[in-house]
Amino acid sequence: MNGIEARALEKHFGPVRALQGIDLSIEAGSLVRVAGANGAGKTTLLRILAGLERPTRGTVGLGGRDPFGRKAASVRGRIGFLGPTTALYGELTLRENLRFISSLHGLSEERTPQLLAALSLSEVGDREVRTLSQGFRRRAGLARALLTEPAWLFLDEPWNGLDRAAGEQLTHQLRAGREAGRTTLVASHAEPTGPGGVPWDRVLELESGRLRETHR
Amino acid sequence: MNGPRVALAVLRKDLLVDLRSRDRLGHMLIFAALVVVLISIVLRTSAADARGALLPLLWIAFLFTSLLGLARSFQAETEDGAWTNLILVPVDRGWVFLGKAGANLLALLVVEAWTALLAVIFLDVDWTRAPGAALLAGVLGAIGLSTLGTLLSALSASARFREFLLPILLFPLILPVLVFAADITGEAIAGRALAERSAGALALYDWVFLLIGYLGFDSLVEA
Repeated sequence: MNGIEARALEKHFGPVRALQGIDLSIEAGSLVRVAGANGAGKTTLLRILAGLERPTRGTVGLGGRDPFGRKAASVRGRIGFLGPTTALYGELTLRENLRFISSLHGLSEERTPQLLAALSLSEVGDREVRTLSQGFRRRAGLARALLTEPAWLFLDEPWNGLDRAAGEQLTHQLRAGREAGRTTLVASHAEPTGPGGVPWDRVLELESGRLRETHR
Repeated sequence: MNGPRVALAVLRKDLLVDLRSRDRLGHMLIFAALVVVLISIVLRTSAADARGALLPLLWIAFLFTSLLGLARSFQAETEDGAWTNLILVPVDRGWVFLGKAGANLLALLVVEAWTALLAVIFLDVDWTRAPGAALLAGVLGAIGLSTLGTLLSALSASARFREFLLPILLFPLILPVLVFAADITGEAIAGRALAERSAGALALYDWVFLLIGYLGFDSLVEA
């Protein structure tokens, strides 16, 4: 199953305690928002849960497996992550970037045109990423995170830099992922607006590195 | 067979980024030309026995030229967070290291061939006396530099003073590569038999660091 478990997570940056004793259990297929003010620890929590950064203390389990463990490769390949940057290569075109990600994961390239069309990126697919506008770059980063059809998707402030139409496409992707059984964690300081909104299963609030549930 | 596929994908991507941006390889080729010309001027105006310093000078020139490229080996990864893609690969991350080292090796071989050509033109070096041994020295030396350079470049990639840190870490460790490679090259230019002990030692040194890179890259990435 694709649930997420975290036990007694702590993350220290020198004297700063970014996360303090986080216990978390998220059911497979849930769509969860992690809210909180700037500096609350949202990005750090997402990076640790996604296996990108080791916690100072505590454990993480994705589908019961440790993303930092010795046999984590198969888990890592099923994680999608979008942080504040695109995680793309500026000198390559968007299509070349997606081809590279596909080859890392042994995927066919059939999904690329579908994804580009779904995110209204087809027209810029052959442009070098460094020449794209901020909004297109953000969408391109989202396309990269979604390309592998991850079992666990972690999105950090994904609505930042998106216009209304792109924001709605993102909401549509989140709904579709939920229906497909994907477990998604979205760090967002503000509730996104738009028709229908996002059907969150849970909303968690981070405050000074501590977690509390505000809605279930 | 997923690991080799990932290594090949990383290698292809690095070469494509290099070709597209041009500056990394271009800067190395220009720098190599400047250094070789400089050496030729200094040697022509020095005492005759100063030519004995030619081979170590050539290898040191190659080392400094390589540093230009190696220091930027992970620039594309750190610029816009693309490390994420390499951290989340579904295979042992050692394969990513092999792909990065392979791309660096190809770039260094191009620079080495260019430097060898310049040495013929400006320094009257004759590679034809023992071309096999000269080629072996070049390949083994480039493997050593690319392996160690890639490993240490990854280590220093996110450091504040990475341009300074890389040579500080690399120079002491690369010394055996320079010594053995210069020895093999010297024998080759003189037309003598292959310096087998140096070739064996250099091959072993390359192999050890290739293994360290493959096994240690995982911890390095997470750090």
